[in-house]
Amino acid sequence: MLKSTFKCTTLVAAGLFAATTVSAADVYGPYPVTVKGYEGDKTDSVSYSGQIARHVLHDSLKALASKGNGENAAELEAQMLSYFNGSDEDLPIIAPVSKDGFPVKQETVNAISSGKNISGKFYNGLMPAWPGAQSGKDVVLSMISKAAASEGGYDAENGYDWGQLISKYTMGAMMYNQSVDNYLDEKLDADQKPNDAPYSEGAAYTGKEHVWDEGFGYWGAPAHALSLTPAQAYAVAKQSDLAAADANGDGVVDLKSEYVFGPAYYAAGADNSGTKTTTYLPDIMRAFVSGRELITSAGGEALTDAQRSELKAYAATIESNWEKVLAEATFKYAGSVYADIAALEEAEGEDKAKAYRNYVKHWGELKGFAMALQTGRNNLGETAVELNNLIGFGPVTLDNSYVTGIDADGNFERKRRATWSEYQLSMLQVQALLADKIGVAARANDKTSALTDLADKLGAISNAETD
Amino acid sequence: MEALDQLISLFSDFANPKKRIFVGYLGLSLLIAFGWLLVIKRQNLRDALRHLFDKRVFFSKSSIADYKIFVINGLISVLIAPYLLTQIAVATALFFALHKQSLFAAGVWDDTSKPIVIALFSLCMFVVDDLTKYLLHRWMHRWPLLWAIHKVHHSAETLTPITVYRVHPLEGLVYGLRGALAQGVVMSTFIFLFGDTVDLYTIVGVNVLVFLFHVTGSNLRHSHISIQYWPWLEHIFISPAQHQLHHSIAEEHFDKNFGAALAVWDWLFGSLHISEDNRKLTFGLGPKEMSSFKLADIYWRPFSDMGKYFKRRAKRIKARLAPSAAKSSQPRP
Repeated sequence: MLKSTFKCTTLVAAGLFAATTVSAADVYGPYPVTVKGYEGDKTDSVSYSGQIARHVLHDSLKALASKGNGENAAELEAQMLSYFNGSDEDLPIIAPVSKDGFPVKQETVNAISSGKNISGKFYNGLMPAWPGAQSGKDVVLSMISKAAASEGGYDAENGYDWGQLISKYTMGAMMYNQSVDNYLDEKLDADQKPNDAPYSEGAAYTGKEHVWDEGFGYWGAPAHALSLTPAQAYAVAKQSDLAAADANGDGVVDLKSEYVFGPAYYAAGADNSGTKTTTYLPDIMRAFVSGRELITSAGGEALTDAQRSELKAYAATIESNWEKVLAEATFKYAGSVYADIAALEEAEGEDKAKAYRNYVKHWGELKGFAMALQTGRNNLGETAVELNNLIGFGPVTLDNSYVTGIDADGNFERKRRATWSEYQLSMLQVQALLADKIGVAARANDKTSALTDLADKLGAISNAETD
Repeated sequence: MEALDQLISLFSDFANPKKRIFVGYLGLSLLIAFGWLLVIKRQNLRDALRHLFDKRVFFSKSSIADYKIFVINGLISVLIAPYLLTQIAVATALFFALHKQSLFAAGVWDDTSKPIVIALFSLCMFVVDDLTKYLLHRWMHRWPLLWAIHKVHHSAETLTPITVYRVHPLEGLVYGLRGALAQGVVMSTFIFLFGDTVDLYTIVGVNVLVFLFHVTGSNLRHSHISIQYWPWLEHIFISPAQHQLHHSIAEEHFDKNFGAALAVWDWLFGSLHISEDNRKLTFGLGPKEMSSFKLADIYWRPFSDMGKYFKRRAKRIKARLAPSAAKSSQPRP
């Protein structure tokens, strides 16, 4: 009896030891302070709370986008802008907030990080996917203004769901753009933010350590993401699995390190849907962890060329997978819009209004992600032009017209018409384009998968069996 | 190593229930033939076995050429497979194109019950496949350019199940194209109208109707066992004896029984010929047409025949143009 208990405890201890060694390597931080001559008392050099604050500003902005009632436009716009531009006041977190069985640790933005905004980190190149040939930031500002003036963030006439448009577009224009086009791009160069100096005077982290952390922060995954299945990561973002989120077991979810925000959520979503053959979440996460370990291993010395090129290879993995995540989401919603049109054509009366609302929501997600794809480091060129032509400036609306541009006063014009089946064809072409040019593999809501499945079943045509 | 892989894939047809020469189908054909000889033809066991495994058939020069062609064509098809038009390419293009018409909306009948859709699809696929095989086969006999290719198949002087592979590679291409078009059209139309409910009833992975065709002795079509059906049934399904008659060199059998599984097409288009009792058939081509066993002749002759055809046409066109050219060159009065 005694012997077996002893055996059992040894086994448990060995198991625990194995578990901690595995998880230590798979968690993003803590990492020791390597800055030479650091005099503070910090023992962890990881810092990306500013990016988490921006995720929270984004989630809150999205929640506000649906608060319009047709009469509170000015007030709501000011409130939305305080989240977009940042505020001197300590803004309350509107989303994500605690809910039954999922308590959230922080209640205000400053509890995460103060003085942060979205506007200063927003893609501001040309955004040809939206009418008026405006800059990236002007586009989102006009969306915020329209959302504030709408009822419930919904413009039935033109077919816009402002919350979805603003949110999905921001996932590219802020998070993806800042990470892959800034921190993981030029800031990895030798002459920028070197590793043999603190990021700023007195900081507990080196230049390169912090650059990498900031890139990671925009990705929006919890530090322990590698121990989560795609389904668990999905459930954390939906605030339905406290155990999966609460890595340190203190009973609350720390937004700074335990929550799943937008980009990581969509990576998990892709991994968990369609063909279920992709591994975007773990692949991106592992590249971030490996990159950070590499920098830490330099011990506060400047990175050698070999180390920097290894780091750039991790950055390239992150970038290409992240682009695919955005493309997978675009692909999925093109499929949703296709199916919504079929449902819309069959629905009548009240059901038709509901079906149309659903269609507009999915279109907003489709369009937002298609715009997000165009905010990366690479110019998608012809692919972007084709994508924008196929999706259009707005969806086909109930009278078959769709937005073709804006007039001098900023009002939408709908000067063309298309049939429902023509627009369905465009959605099929969007899916074909993304499969062809970006190589999406999860392919959720693939509208031609039924053909592929049937062809597989029929098998290759026997060209020899003639009579 | 690669050559070995190709050789293995070549013989994998024998293990693939989607192929006619799957060992299971061959075994069943053997049983059917054996039963036919014992019960209907009242042969004794020894005679039946001797008849069944007649070495004058299986080891004739013509049959040995069939076996060689089977291997050579297998290697050729591995090489050209990546360049062939596939049914999925046709189906996808047509599925997209169907969205441009306004008569039917996509998924217009997507609430039809699943068993009905699957039955309808399986039947339609079989019927369209069979009809297009009939039509193409008919054209193969009627159009000189296609006949130049198809006569490779008819140069066989003894028939065995492997004779089904005795075709010129160009015929393989044409048949593959037909299959891609026929299946592509049916698949895309069904999925456009019925949505994702479309599926195929299969047994061992093949369309249940194709399976039935194979387990009822499709391999005996190319054999020396002339199994006949009742005349009424030979108006619906092609019996092995009817297909053997299609290979006969007797003039009254020319251009008869083009059908693959169904005889209704021949019946409908006037090319049906029911089987004849105790008729000794001779297979092959005329003496000057093509060798039954010389491979160089078998593979090259179609090209030279096609060349001769074009030469003849060019001569005729020239002759037709010549007087008018002479006329137009005359000085105006």
